[in-house]
Amino acid sequence: MYCKVVDEALNAWFAREILTHEAALVRYLTRLWPQRQDVHDLRQEIYMRVYEAAKTRRPHAPKSFLFTTARHLMSDRVRRSRVVSMEAIGDLDSLNVSVEEVSPERRLQARQELMQLARAFSALPPRCREVVWLRRVDELSQKEVANRLNITEKTVESHIVKGTRLLADIFFGRKVDGEQLDNSRTNEGESGHGKQHKD
Amino acid sequence: MNRGMESSIKIEERAAVWLARRDSEAWSATDEAAFNAWLEQSTLHVVAFVRLEAAWKQAKRLKALSAGVNSGDVPSPEGWQLTSFFDRATRTEEAPTVAAPTHEQAVPGYTAPSNVRHTRLTQRWAVAASLLVAFGASIAFYKWPFDSIYRTPVGGTAAVPIGDGSNVTLNTDSRIRLDITDTERRVELQKGEAFFDVAKDPSRPFVVQAGEKRVVAVGTQFSVRRDEDEVRVFVTEGKVRIEDETESSHDKKGDGEILTLSAGNIARTGDAGVIVDQKTISEVEGYLSWRTGYLIFRDTPLADAVAEFNRYNARKIVIRDPVVAAIRVSGKFRSTQFEAFVRILEDGFPVRARRVDDQIVLTDGRALREKEAALQ
Repeated sequence: MYCKVVDEALNAWFAREILTHEAALVRYLTRLWPQRQDVHDLRQEIYMRVYEAAKTRRPHAPKSFLFTTARHLMSDRVRRSRVVSMEAIGDLDSLNVSVEEVSPERRLQARQELMQLARAFSALPPRCREVVWLRRVDELSQKEVANRLNITEKTVESHIVKGTRLLADIFFGRKVDGEQLDNSRTNEGESGHGKQHKD
Repeated sequence: MNRGMESSIKIEERAAVWLARRDSEAWSATDEAAFNAWLEQSTLHVVAFVRLEAAWKQAKRLKALSAGVNSGDVPSPEGWQLTSFFDRATRTEEAPTVAAPTHEQAVPGYTAPSNVRHTRLTQRWAVAASLLVAFGASIAFYKWPFDSIYRTPVGGTAAVPIGDGSNVTLNTDSRIRLDITDTERRVELQKGEAFFDVAKDPSRPFVVQAGEKRVVAVGTQFSVRRDEDEVRVFVTEGKVRIEDETESSHDKKGDGEILTLSAGNIARTGDAGVIVDQKTISEVEGYLSWRTGYLIFRDTPLADAVAEFNRYNARKIVIRDPVVAAIRVSGKFRSTQFEAFVRILEDGFPVRARRVDDQIVLTDGRALREKEAALQ
């Protein structure tokens, strides 16, 4: 199915109303789904379903919709794997916390968001941090960044690859160091954490 | 698990590579075409990219923090900690859970990362245990200072202490009045349902009065439930007597009914008198599963199951269809998780649920399904 990708409005909505709940969503999934290694995959499939649905019409209660989608997906998977009795599915919800729709003051205020961003940024490995700053704040081109830091453009690119993933994990997912669920950081002479996740 | 397909991690890695490449000046039309083709392969690709792009876009806002930072310099985390901008914000924020930076120095102001690794089982027990504690101990009861009235909110249960060693457990939306004297231990069940675990005390009968009926016990376990004028008594242990309240308990010559129930009996009062059912003790205990927060249905008509749920939840489920009302359900559900119950109904039966105001309305889903099937 063809998806027109440059739907800026949809993407902006998605970031603002859905990704903002990533930390809570992942905590929820981790609590209810026994296989930790599946959580990343679950999360992404949930995002996909929400994104697809929102293409036709934006849900008016995004957080509830997100968590409802999560429960449906988990129920589906449980059913497909044939582990099942109504009781098992009922139990899956037994730890459900009622999701009250996020009230305005609960949503991260701009200042707090900025702070969260700053923290995410500060948590990047030094080289990564430099590349992101020079590129995004000072708006140097990749070539200029490469010159400034005395590295190749390829390396600059690979720092952006790593930096974006880390920023997303920390800014949306509030990931705490050592609790990387996907263990996908590479070692680059820094005090490396986690192993390369071979699939 | 989708091991046969691309893993979500691999997709994310790919998306990051695309983003970084797109960020360079060397990006060409061919690249753009390849990128679009990759996006078109799956919405999983799209959301992976959208997520990373959103973080990348956020990074631009770091500009707001660049005042005081010389062009070409990159701020260090310690530097930021000292600005008053953050000092003010930190005080009002909840404890941050932030990654400690991976370089050598410990940064002041960050909380240590909590390296909590619960196994699923441990975590579930931990939460289940805390739920039980919350159930039993938190808002145990509302006690009026001038009278021994105890009540529970909708969805709540409560343990009410009686000085003699007996235990009284209130169910949802219930109210009792205690009247303990030297000669009698009396409980007036004004509303709802309560379970009684009565300590033996031959000198003081334990009397539960519900409406016009009186349940008398010596040493036993039973539950009394009152719905308006209908009273039900469930006995799980020992014996109880059911009498008319209007009769004096000492009047042996009265024509009031006296009925003795034993374990496994369920009595229901009505206009025609009292009807007694003989069941097994475990069946009776099934009716009392609310004490652990569960409702158990055995081939129960949905109308009854819904009526049960409605006792425990402020938001009511309403059935608008006789066909739906007659559906039989079995299972064990947490009494306050009616949303899960409704969802399971929708998944497993031809039932459609709609939120209308503060109710959930159930209607026949078959017509809808047939219509949907016809449109395929």
